[in-house]
Amino acid sequence: MKTLMLKLEPVIWLLFSGGMMIGGLLLPVFVLVVALGGGLGVVGGEALGYDRMLALVTHPIGSLVVLAAMALPVWGGAHHLRHLWIDFGGLGSDSLVGFLCYGTALASSIAAILAVVRLHA
Amino acid sequence: MSELRPRVDAMKPRAPMPTRTADPRPPDKFPSRGRYPSYLAFGACGAFLLLSAQLLIRGVWALGDGEAAWDAYIVSFGHPVYLAYHVAAFIGLTWFALRLFRLFPATQPNRMGPMKRPADAVLVAGLYGVFFTVLAVGTLFLGGALL
Amino acid sequence: MSEKLKKTFIVTRFDPDKDEVPKTQTYEIEVEPDWKILDALNHIKDTVDPTLSHRWSCRMAVCGSCGMTVNGEPKLTCKDPLSSYGDTIEISPLANFPIVRDLVVELEGFMEKFQEVKPWIMVAKERAVEEGTTRQSPEELADFKGFSMCINCMLCYSACPVVSNEPEFLGPAALALGHRYNQDTRDEGSHVRNAVFRDEGAIFSCSFANECSEVCPKNVNPSGAIQQAKLANVIDWATSFVVKRGEDVS
Repeated sequence: MKTLMLKLEPVIWLLFSGGMMIGGLLLPVFVLVVALGGGLGVVGGEALGYDRMLALVTHPIGSLVVLAAMALPVWGGAHHLRHLWIDFGGLGSDSLVGFLCYGTALASSIAAILAVVRLHA
Repeated sequence: MSELRPRVDAMKPRAPMPTRTADPRPPDKFPSRGRYPSYLAFGACGAFLLLSAQLLIRGVWALGDGEAAWDAYIVSFGHPVYLAYHVAAFIGLTWFALRLFRLFPATQPNRMGPMKRPADAVLVAGLYGVFFTVLAVGTLFLGGALL
Repeated sequence: MSEKLKKTFIVTRFDPDKDEVPKTQTYEIEVEPDWKILDALNHIKDTVDPTLSHRWSCRMAVCGSCGMTVNGEPKLTCKDPLSSYGDTIEISPLANFPIVRDLVVELEGFMEKFQEVKPWIMVAKERAVEEGTTRQSPEELADFKGFSMCINCMLCYSACPVVSNEPEFLGPAALALGHRYNQDTRDEGSHVRNAVFRDEGAIFSCSFANECSEVCPKNVNPSGAIQQAKLANVIDWATSFVVKRGEDVS
C-alpha cells in the first residue's frame, strides 16, 4: 500500500489540490443554498424543486460543474485527513489510514460519476 | 492509540556519532500554540470537504431516483443534526477557502507564463474577489433569484 | 549610557557525560536594552558561567550558526532583539534535533539529507572553455535567487511538524535548495532531482504547514518552493511516460 501510494502520489496531489480549489469555491454555495436554505425552508420550493434541479444537473455545463464539485473535494478531504493523522504521530499506521482515506475518495468519485451518468442514460 | 507518539528522529545521523546526544523533542508549541492550531484546523476542514461532497453525491443520486427521493433529501436537511453540521461546514469551508487563497501567492513562481507575477496583495485580493463573487452569484442563481 | 535592565534567562543545560536528559538553569543578569538574545548568552558565558555552550559566529545573520528556540519559537539569536521579550526568557536548543550539549545540536543528520537533493549544477557534457560563459538573464536569475539565500540555520527544520513525524523527510531547506537548482537555467539535472523529489520523505510528504517560511530569517520561502516543486514534479512525472530520458548528467 505504502509503495502504491508513493507511486501514485503525483496524481493524488493533483486531485487533492484541484479538490481544495474547487471544493473551497463551490461547496460553500451548495451548503448555504441547498443544505441550509433547503433544510430551513428559506429557499423557495420552486427553486430547489425536482424539475429545476434535474434540468440544472443534466445541462452539459451543470453536469461538469456538479461532477467537479463532487469528485474532486473528496480527494482534498482524504489527503488532508491522512496528513492530519501523520501530524499527530500516526505514520506507523499510514498504510491503513491512507488506504481508508483514498479508498473512500476513490469510491466516492466513482459514485459521483455514476450519479451523473445515470441522469443522462 | 499507543502508536500515536511523535517519532522525532528525522534529524538523527544514520550512524551513531562519537558523542552521546539527548533525544530530539518536537516543536514546543505543537500542537496547541502559535500558528499550529490554525494549520491543524485547516487540515481538519478536510472532513468538511469530504462529507459535504458526499452529501452532494447523495443529492445527485436522489435526483436519479425520482422526485420523491429528491424531496425527501431536501426535507432530511431540516434535521437539527444536519443543520448544526451545515452551519459548521459553511463557516469551516469559507475559512478554509480564504486561508487557502491567502497562502496561494507564496506557492506561485516568480513568473506566470510570460508575465511577472503580480504583487501578493493583488493576487490575494483577486482570489478573495473570485470567492465572494462565486458565493454571491452562485447563491442567487441556485436559489432561483437569477435566470 | 542607556539604563540596564534585569532579565531572567531559563536556559537548557545538557552535559552528555553527566546528564541523562536535558535540564534547565536560571540566570538573572543585567542587560543593555539594545542587546540581542545572543549578546545576553555571550554575557552569561563570559561573566557568569563559562561552562555554558552555544554556537555562534558572525553576529550578523549570515553564518546561520546561532539558531535556538526562544520562548518556544525558532529564532536566529543574533537577529532577535531582547526588547521584544518580557522579563523572563526561555532559551532551548532547536527542536527536532538531537542535542549535543546545552544549546548545541547535532548537524550530521542535516548534512546527510542535504546531499540527497544534489545541490549543485548538473550538466550532461562539461562546457569547453572556448564556448565561453553560460549566459543567464536577470529574469532567469530572479526565478530562483530568493531560494538561494538560505544560510542553513535550520530554523525551518526546527519548526516543521513533518520533520517531527517522518524520519525520512528531507526537510524544508534541502528541498527548497533542490528546487532552486531545478529552476536554474544552467542546470540539466532536474529529472534526476525530480526522481528524488518523488521518493519517500520528499516533497509530497510536505503538508504545507508553512511554518518553515514563517520562521525563516532570510525570507527564503521554502514552503512556496516545495509547493512549486510539486506542480513541476507532476508535469515531469507525466512527461516521463512520453519522453525517454538518460541518467547521463553529473
